[in-house]
Amino acid sequence: MTVMKTSLRNFFAHKGRMALSAVAVLLSVAFVCGTLVFTDTMSTTFDKLFAATASDVTVSAKGASDTGETQSDNGKPPTMPASVLEEVRGADGVKSAEGTVFSTSVTVVDGDKDSLSPTSGGPTIVGNWNANDARTMEISSGQAPRGPEQVMVDADTAEKHHLKLGDEIGVITAVGTHRAKISGIAEFQVTNPGAAIFYLDTKTAQESLLGEKGVYTNVNVTAASGLSDAQVKKNVTAALGGGYQVQTAKEVADANAKDVGDFMGVMKYAMLGFAGIAFLVGIFLIINTFSMLVAQRTREIGLMRAIGSSRRQVNRSVLVEALLLGVFGSVLGVGAGVGLAIGLMKLMSATGMNLSTDDLTVAWTTPVVGLLLGIVVTVLAAYLPARRAGKVSPMAALRDSGAPAGARSGVVRAVLGLALTGAGGYGLYLASQADKASEGSVWLGGGVVLSLIGFVVIGPVLAGAVVRVLGAVVLRIFGPVGRMAERNALRNPRRTGATGAALMIGLALVACLSVVGSSMVASATDQLDKTVGTDFIIQSDSGQLITPQAVEAAKSAEDLTGVTEYKWTQADFTTPDGKTLKDTAITAADPSYATDLRTETVAGDLKDAYKPDSMSVHEKFAKDHDITLGSTITVAFKDGRAPARLTVRAITSSDVVIDAGAMYTSIDTMATYVPAEKMPLDMLLFASAKDGQEAAAYTSLKAALDDYPQYTVRDQTDYKEALKDQIGQLLNMIYGLLALAIIVAVLGVVNTLALSVVERTREIGLMRAIGLSRRQLRRMIRLESVVIALFGALLGLGLGMGWGATAQQLLALEGLKVLDIPWPTITAVFLGSAFVGLFAALVPAFRAGRMNVLNAIATE
Amino acid sequence: MTSAVTITRHGGTGGTTAVAARARQVVKAYGSGETRVVALDHVDVDIARGQFTAIMGPSGSGKSTLMHCLAGLDSVTSGQIYLDETEITGLKDKKLTKLRRDRIGFIFQAFNLLPTLNALENITLPMDIAGRKPDKAWLGRVVDTVGLADRLKHRPTQLSGGQQQRVAVARALAARPEIIFGDEPTGNLDSRAGAEVLGFLRRSVDELGQTIVMVTHDPVAASYADRVLYLADGRIVDEMYEPTADTVLDRMKDFDARGRTS
Repeated sequence: MTVMKTSLRNFFAHKGRMALSAVAVLLSVAFVCGTLVFTDTMSTTFDKLFAATASDVTVSAKGASDTGETQSDNGKPPTMPASVLEEVRGADGVKSAEGTVFSTSVTVVDGDKDSLSPTSGGPTIVGNWNANDARTMEISSGQAPRGPEQVMVDADTAEKHHLKLGDEIGVITAVGTHRAKISGIAEFQVTNPGAAIFYLDTKTAQESLLGEKGVYTNVNVTAASGLSDAQVKKNVTAALGGGYQVQTAKEVADANAKDVGDFMGVMKYAMLGFAGIAFLVGIFLIINTFSMLVAQRTREIGLMRAIGSSRRQVNRSVLVEALLLGVFGSVLGVGAGVGLAIGLMKLMSATGMNLSTDDLTVAWTTPVVGLLLGIVVTVLAAYLPARRAGKVSPMAALRDSGAPAGARSGVVRAVLGLALTGAGGYGLYLASQADKASEGSVWLGGGVVLSLIGFVVIGPVLAGAVVRVLGAVVLRIFGPVGRMAERNALRNPRRTGATGAALMIGLALVACLSVVGSSMVASATDQLDKTVGTDFIIQSDSGQLITPQAVEAAKSAEDLTGVTEYKWTQADFTTPDGKTLKDTAITAADPSYATDLRTETVAGDLKDAYKPDSMSVHEKFAKDHDITLGSTITVAFKDGRAPARLTVRAITSSDVVIDAGAMYTSIDTMATYVPAEKMPLDMLLFASAKDGQEAAAYTSLKAALDDYPQYTVRDQTDYKEALKDQIGQLLNMIYGLLALAIIVAVLGVVNTLALSVVERTREIGLMRAIGLSRRQLRRMIRLESVVIALFGALLGLGLGMGWGATAQQLLALEGLKVLDIPWPTITAVFLGSAFVGLFAALVPAFRAGRMNVLNAIATE
Repeated sequence: MTSAVTITRHGGTGGTTAVAARARQVVKAYGSGETRVVALDHVDVDIARGQFTAIMGPSGSGKSTLMHCLAGLDSVTSGQIYLDETEITGLKDKKLTKLRRDRIGFIFQAFNLLPTLNALENITLPMDIAGRKPDKAWLGRVVDTVGLADRLKHRPTQLSGGQQQRVAVARALAARPEIIFGDEPTGNLDSRAGAEVLGFLRRSVDELGQTIVMVTHDPVAASYADRVLYLADGRIVDEMYEPTADTVLDRMKDFDARGRTS
């Protein structure tokens, strides 16, 4: 019991010194709980939405996906004739049935030809206004659409784009562009997470979305009372025969939820991964805190041992303190996590994704996971210092101060660290030499982990050397104050090492990713320069296919020598080795594509692949399936009439970044086997300008596609820029998530300095007494902080660049040929670390400066 | 007797006054109202230049407080303190720090040295902080005087307690301050090491002309001084010139007896 009492008293006596450790635990736990709450809330929102919008039983055409999704490659959703509606109405247990029409293969524009599609990645849906929608939406102004001139829009979209009754909007589909005026605005009764929804009347929807009269995409069935959905589903299926997909409300909702869940699962685990990194960094902070507390309390612990406390009791008293810290930090963290989730939801609203706090979902597992994680990690982190406390001899009570760490542990550490780093380095070397990506990535992963652990272990040993070098370069300018800062950073290498290592982890990841990212851009740019012969690339950034009208518009542009169409589809391949490969991707393009993108061949001429009944494969595929020039592959195109037998006339290099792994055939060949109405729309267009007319052609092409804001025309320069932006955005997002780990590491620097200042109270008092000015004192502490931060940055950047270069070597197998080290980023991070060091020292330096000289001298 | 202003103001060496530091009507009080404690009660004192002054008194007499105030480490409630002709009462921290750095030397009871610096670096620290180059010849003389020539590269942890205090003495002397304050500089030492350190202090007064003020409760230590001031209850109650250990002890016994009877 006494153990408990001492622990409690110690905990509260030193609560200030625990504060930053508590914040570290709090932040990590908050991130975990915030992620869980946020994703759970999103699930709830979608579940509610799907539950509200699904009718009792839904009949979809055969080609629709599990979720009744009606986007398809040819730009028109699969349909069913009106007779199906009558048949469904005739089935037993059907109270009512209604034909619906909706499509997500649409782009909606306002009167200024600006897209009204959500920027958050949500879908744009245009459909007929039906009874099922009327259940979940309320017309807040105007009226439901009647006739071809009218359209109704959802209130969120109307508000976002300042649309009002009477505004003209255009619905662009593969059928054409339909213009109508807003007749009404309807408001969702459940939270709409971010879809933009437009309603037409049924007849207009059929004509403008499907291009056919009297057909539907789905039939919504309301079950007669007393009958289960499943029963009605059975009856409807029986009435229709096998040709349609019939699902109950629950099945639709489940399929939808699974879709959303898959996406959110990725997001959730990615975010939890970053939370894990923050935890890892937090461990260093906690270890440092407890090590320092134990060191400061050495005499006290010695006294306890002298009067009869057992090692275990001392050990346990430290662990109990850690437990208290863990509980305290985690409880606050769980609360902060909920707050974080709410903040994140608000942030998402700003980007156009609506999430209502009414749906805030805190599963019982969330606080449990948060608390357990926080407490277990804290106690585990405190274990080493606790063990060290247990080892304090009773003699320590009599000695003046804590005994310095033994030299032997330094040797053990150096040997172990070198061994681990060496093993990690060897792993990285193997990864860079690997000739198979799968095998190499195992080496890479192992090398990264081992070298990281190695650096952490060897950190304190390296601290000595690195700090001396940094001192010689940076601190000498500051004279004796710089020298004292250097000595202070060196006096406890283990502490400096652990503090620096915490920063190292986050920065290593930043450096690694920046190297890989910029190598990606450099490699792609390099290849664009070498292989792309075309001038302009036309594509939709949101993945919309290109409608025939837009293709015509592009072809009508002036000063062009030609436009290449590029389609993508899937086919079942039967290769010479007798295997059948289901749903294999195949590219169908115009023959001019062979010069638009001069993909290197290892055999044959790529132009020949566009001859009738011909194709190309890539090297790896050829090797894997015994394919040589002249081999025949049976290709059953999706929606094809009959399988095609295509002759391989070119084998392309696998060493490419652009169109990696593509296999080509001509559109004409494909069209021989796939009926015209089933041909997929173009995915990309390429256009080449007449010599010397590039600028005019660019302008003309842009003007020609002005009516279609969903497509972007880019010349090579713009395309490279876009590629760079895209990778840059991805990197920024990851940096943003890594910021958490870096913040915790910075807290660690603050923590180390703050505790050091407390530890050195008398020294500071002495220096002040013999004439060190406040400014000099503050500068000394800031310089120590800068040195620690730069030490962490140097290690992290070095390690990260090593990882990044290795990853590039490995990915060279996948075409990432060019290693590009982004020196501006690396330099910025390094200099940034110095500022981080200055920032971290702000409070500790201020407090040290405020210390009363007399009190400082008198402190025992 | 609350005054120890008995020294002629002029007649010292060179152009400077014979008084290195003086206190006039200095009051130092803590707290207010009923909890008010007066540590120094209207103290007047002159510290003679080139002399070794000891301040004695029982615990709580205010002797350390007086020293801290004279040295510019602590502020006074009222009254004035002058270092030479500079009034230091009312100076801002920045000026006080500079004053301590350039004109005053310190020797504390314990923890005099920075553990990260070696002996020589500790000795030159005040000058390093000030950005001044130490006078090589003087430094050599000081180091020789305290007998540390072969220990200069040692860290404090590698030195004995006596050696550490000698380094502290050397540091105080090296910058040639106008005045050195010692706060029980031998309090933590055995009698032999203590005698050594006190011997050096005595010699620095005799041979180098240094002014030293030392707080102590040890009659033997006080006997090294030229003059002993006695404090009790925040007042100067007596003084003695050319003390010996025995006369100091007798005087203290005297005070104790008086304290008991009164």
